[in-house]
Amino acid sequence: MKENHFMAKKLRTSGLLIIAGLLVEALSLAWNHPLSFVAFLGLGGLLLAAGILVYLWALVTTASPSETSSAKSREANASTE
Amino acid sequence: MPTAVVLVLLALTVVFIAVIIARPEVTIARGGKILAFLALFVLPVFAGFTGLENHINRSQQTTFCLSCHVMDDYGKSLLVDDASYIPAAHYQNNRVPRAEACYTCHTDYTLYSGAVKAKLRGLHHLYAQYIGKPSHPVHLYAPYNNRECLHCHLGARSFEQGAVHTADPQTMADIKSNKLSCVSSGCHDMVHNVSQLDHQKLWKPVQ
Repeated sequence: MKENHFMAKKLRTSGLLIIAGLLVEALSLAWNHPLSFVAFLGLGGLLLAAGILVYLWALVTTASPSETSSAKSREANASTE
Repeated sequence: MPTAVVLVLLALTVVFIAVIIARPEVTIARGGKILAFLALFVLPVFAGFTGLENHINRSQQTTFCLSCHVMDDYGKSLLVDDASYIPAAHYQNNRVPRAEACYTCHTDYTLYSGAVKAKLRGLHHLYAQYIGKPSHPVHLYAPYNNRECLHCHLGARSFEQGAVHTADPQTMADIKSNKLSCVSSGCHDMVHNVSQLDHQKLWKPVQ
């Protein structure tokens, strides 16, 4: 349950960062100017990359349900022994 | 990829992400995990690359180059009513696409040459435009390369059989190997000449 809550929080953070990056990208595409290119790369690219990294980080740091249940059963076995 | 298609892709990605944000519990199921992977990884990466491609294509437009104040005179030099001005003659007679006139003859400029140094020069231009002071008139970083002329003129009859070009066999070899510049003094040397613009009559394009 705690793992799911942690994952949900990370997914929301990742999603919000990516949406912010995509909005910057959309706005930059509406303006044909060297500064829009810099905003796209510097701000939009940074937000997109941060969002994707948060998502990947959540994937590798959150245990899957099968791992969680096997860890619980190992703990239970250890306590009975 | 056209801007409209990129914007539709961005909107679609935002919709998928909104589903994940509103109902993160959908990611417990296998289908939800796939949706999250698409919405939070595959689509944003794809959207980022299509946006980058779109920006690079737009930066090849004449309006993009002329959006910096320091380039105003270079834009005007395309309208000089004098056929001896090489850029003006090319621009006015559609020898280069007008929408990408600058890039057609300066394909090695900043962003497009590939080197990291060239990208830094592009950033330096922004610094000079908004914070520092741009040099006036601006100068190319390297001598103008004949390749920019030859990617159209090479093989053309007027170039290959031109009287001056063929007067001496070495001349043609030197032009093709970039040892003898096309814009050398006495040859095609009337280029932008922005310092002379005040005395020139300008052509008004037909709307």
